[in-house]
Amino acid sequence: MAAIIARVASVIRNLTRRSRIEHDLDEELRATVEMLAAEKVRAGHTPDAARRAALVDLGGIETIKEGVRDVRAGAMLDTLGQDIRFAVRLLLRYPLFALTAVLSLAVGIGANTAVFTIGNGLLRFSPVAVSDPDRLVDIGRSFDGLPIGFNPASYPDYLDLRRRTTTLEHVYAHPLFPKDMTVESESGTEKVVGDVVTTNYFSALGTRAAIGRLFLPEESDAQGASPLVVLSHRYWVRGFNADPGIVGQTVRLNRYPVTVVGVAAEGFQGTTVVAVDLWVPMSMVTFVTGSTPGGLEDRRAGWVVMGARLKPGASIEQATADVAGIDQALRSEYPDQSHPQPFRLLPASPMADKMPLAAAALLLLGAIASTVLVIACANVAGLLLARASGRGREMALRLAVGANRSRLIRQLLTETLLLFAIGAVAGIALARAMTTGLMSLLPALPVPVHLSLVLDWRVVALACSLAFVAALLSGLAPALHASRADVSTVLKDEGHGASARLRMRSAFVVAQVSLSLVLVFVGGLFTRALQQASPTNAGFDARGVEVVSIDASLGRDGDAASPSIARDLLDRVRHIPGVASASMSRMLPLANEAMGMGLSLPGEVPRPGALAQTPGSGNIVAPGYFATLRIPIRAGRDFTDQDATGAPLVAIVGEAAALRFWPGEDPIGKQLIVNGGSRPGASIRVVGVAHDVRYRALDFGTVPYVYLPLGQHDTSNLSLIVRSADGRSVAGGVRAAIAGMRAPPQAVSLQSLDDLVAVALTPQRVGAFVAGGLGLVGVLLAAIGIYGVTAYTVSRRTREIAIRTALGAQPGTVVGLVLRQAISLTAIGCAIGLVLGAVAGQVLSMLLVGVSPLDPATLGGAVVLCVVVVLAGSFVPVSRVMKIAASDALRSE
Amino acid sequence: MTQRASLLQGTLDLLILKALSTGELHGLGVSRRIEQMTGGTFAVQPGSLFPALHRLEESGWLTAEWEASENNRRAKYYKLTKAGKRQLGEAAEQWNRIALAMAKALEA
Repeated sequence: MAAIIARVASVIRNLTRRSRIEHDLDEELRATVEMLAAEKVRAGHTPDAARRAALVDLGGIETIKEGVRDVRAGAMLDTLGQDIRFAVRLLLRYPLFALTAVLSLAVGIGANTAVFTIGNGLLRFSPVAVSDPDRLVDIGRSFDGLPIGFNPASYPDYLDLRRRTTTLEHVYAHPLFPKDMTVESESGTEKVVGDVVTTNYFSALGTRAAIGRLFLPEESDAQGASPLVVLSHRYWVRGFNADPGIVGQTVRLNRYPVTVVGVAAEGFQGTTVVAVDLWVPMSMVTFVTGSTPGGLEDRRAGWVVMGARLKPGASIEQATADVAGIDQALRSEYPDQSHPQPFRLLPASPMADKMPLAAAALLLLGAIASTVLVIACANVAGLLLARASGRGREMALRLAVGANRSRLIRQLLTETLLLFAIGAVAGIALARAMTTGLMSLLPALPVPVHLSLVLDWRVVALACSLAFVAALLSGLAPALHASRADVSTVLKDEGHGASARLRMRSAFVVAQVSLSLVLVFVGGLFTRALQQASPTNAGFDARGVEVVSIDASLGRDGDAASPSIARDLLDRVRHIPGVASASMSRMLPLANEAMGMGLSLPGEVPRPGALAQTPGSGNIVAPGYFATLRIPIRAGRDFTDQDATGAPLVAIVGEAAALRFWPGEDPIGKQLIVNGGSRPGASIRVVGVAHDVRYRALDFGTVPYVYLPLGQHDTSNLSLIVRSADGRSVAGGVRAAIAGMRAPPQAVSLQSLDDLVAVALTPQRVGAFVAGGLGLVGVLLAAIGIYGVTAYTVSRRTREIAIRTALGAQPGTVVGLVLRQAISLTAIGCAIGLVLGAVAGQVLSMLLVGVSPLDPATLGGAVVLCVVVVLAGSFVPVSRVMKIAASDALRSE
Repeated sequence: MTQRASLLQGTLDLLILKALSTGELHGLGVSRRIEQMTGGTFAVQPGSLFPALHRLEESGWLTAEWEASENNRRAKYYKLTKAGKRQLGEAAEQWNRIALAMAKALEA
């Protein structure tokens, strides 16, 4: 070990040798002057005179240094030039080697660069739009125990935090998600994406107006105080033909008149990847969005995320401690209104709504890409080692004629670096294609997303440094090994050094096999998870279903009209030709939303210390919901129009809830206390049992679920669900039906349910594609590795095999001799891969819904695939064994 | 002038190699040894000596190490390598051939 460290140090010294030479030269000349002076003192000069005379004798010190530097620089350039020329010649002489190495490097570097490009776009603000983005932070509530992601905070949280903080300034707030809105102006009505921000938003970010002005921090956030709007540059161009005259005019935003005060700077799109079209002040939130979930006063109602700028001199750690302190203080001041999750403060990023799904997908991609790079490095190291073995003789000869060892190492490293430079260029090119490919795996998102995926210097720098590190990692070991060639033994025969090399190479092959197996296995797990999480397995049928999200409170007649609007709309939609069935609901399956409800039985006394209520989830649905989504009703009945206000309160429960509360009994007619909906705490009669449906893709098990009828519970945000009779889109008819209503609700988006569900399954889909695809590439690389090792063994043992054949060994015996090696390498690789795969499965279990992380079928499949492909790699060299004749023994040496 | 310089360069390299053939020396020592060997005919200027030493080191004919000098100062000592010894042999042989040829030519 110490020897290896010393060698690495000597290589690094060579890389930094310029400054060492300068230092040495200074020392050398100083010593010479001193010695000259000493001579003169001995000759009778005084020390001062001697020193002066010595300097005169030496002549111009700078001139001498120049002369030496020229010699040294010339030599260095010469060596470098020689090394490069030599390296190019060698690569051209072994084109197959060069091609394999460059391709595997390109895949490894390309995959990492592609992931980094996407991460760069997701995690970093374009400095064009936001000034000094490194001082910005995001604040919210932490997310269900995950290390990333935000739950929204309440508006009172924001006001308190802003008032009490000592480390932050410009604390702003806006809803977790931008809102869909409509704008009516002289140029017509358009659907836009709008954000609702506190008036200090723009000054906090330090962005400027293109024309007009932005909101001012001193403008009031009191409700109704500032009916203003700022347009994005993109929307100004698209919707108003970049007309500067728009400033000062009034447009109707969700039917409410607001004055355009300005246009934001070009390229500014807000603080998320969602391309926002306009911004309205927080004072307009109840007007333009109709409802704030929980309003502006409720401390428990989370709906905003906050942002802020660190005060000068304040660090992010201090700010985190500050915010945690405020959280503690609020908890003791309002003990019965505290949020279950603590505040969380993170460096600001445009990551889509700070959702952990995007982060999880990104982390996953990063891990996969790094694994591929390691596989590629192992492959190249193996190839280099194989070639080094072919060059053992050359190295030994060069050492024998006096070449110095560090020069040989430098030469070998130059070759490797050249290889990796080509690999890096190819990798960057491949990364462009991979980035496009990865983005195309993303489903159609319900909002316009703009992500800046440029090939900036950061990306190129990353690719280059990856290539450099990879070159050092995979080039150093073979280089040290090759240059250690012992003159006498190598010249005699490929003796001891060769077998050590074979061991090292076998280790690389084992590493390749095991890591490839992990990737293939992970890809397989994600594929299984994707199947498991598909609508069919989640308990409903999404095909041919279209979804319109509507805000029923925004009818022209004002609020509180939702039940009648809903019934009116449903009547119209059900009469559209081509519509098989239609319904409405607050929640959609697999949309990753949950409406928490506490469930308990009447008269049930909770055990001391236990929760008073069983945590469950619920939904508010209109009649026909189960039929439209083809969710089977196991017992009882569906809701009807008679389940309305005034009628007895009813509910339909999921099977898990039925089993939880009435095991072995008929739940129909039983009473359940539901804390949720518009009648919290009311005792409700169960009228039906529905098959369980998975509402969140990441739910581990099925939680107790309760459906409440829309006729008895108000909700303004609804999804209209329409199943067409023949699978053809009925979107046009639905739009017309909504427009034709006397009081049309706000229709905000129209999508197929398949597309909506696809969003929820993005990490699994990306994981399946990327891990599976790259895993296959890894397996192929491993096959090349096995081929190389086996071919090398065969060539080394040609003489032995020929003699055995001559002595009458059966072909099977000889083949077995060689095959045994390939099989044992594969077996060791698979064994290690299985262990690593099991670990990876555990780590990823959060994303693997409904699949055991040790799924035996997937494990078995991955192993069989690896074994078959890898052993196929040894087929060619093994078949060569059969052709070895006795005469080859004589020729082989 | 350039011709003379190149001739001198070859000569200087040979003289340095020869000076070091009896053992390791520092730069000043090489200079003094050459003066002594040539009976004072050649006084090598430091401006030529040091670049030449470094060039020979770069070519792999010399190695250098820091050691204590005769009066206990640190000095950089040069030493012939195996390749340097071989080079000295070849260069000396070549020089002798040229010198012999030149002498013959001038006597004729």
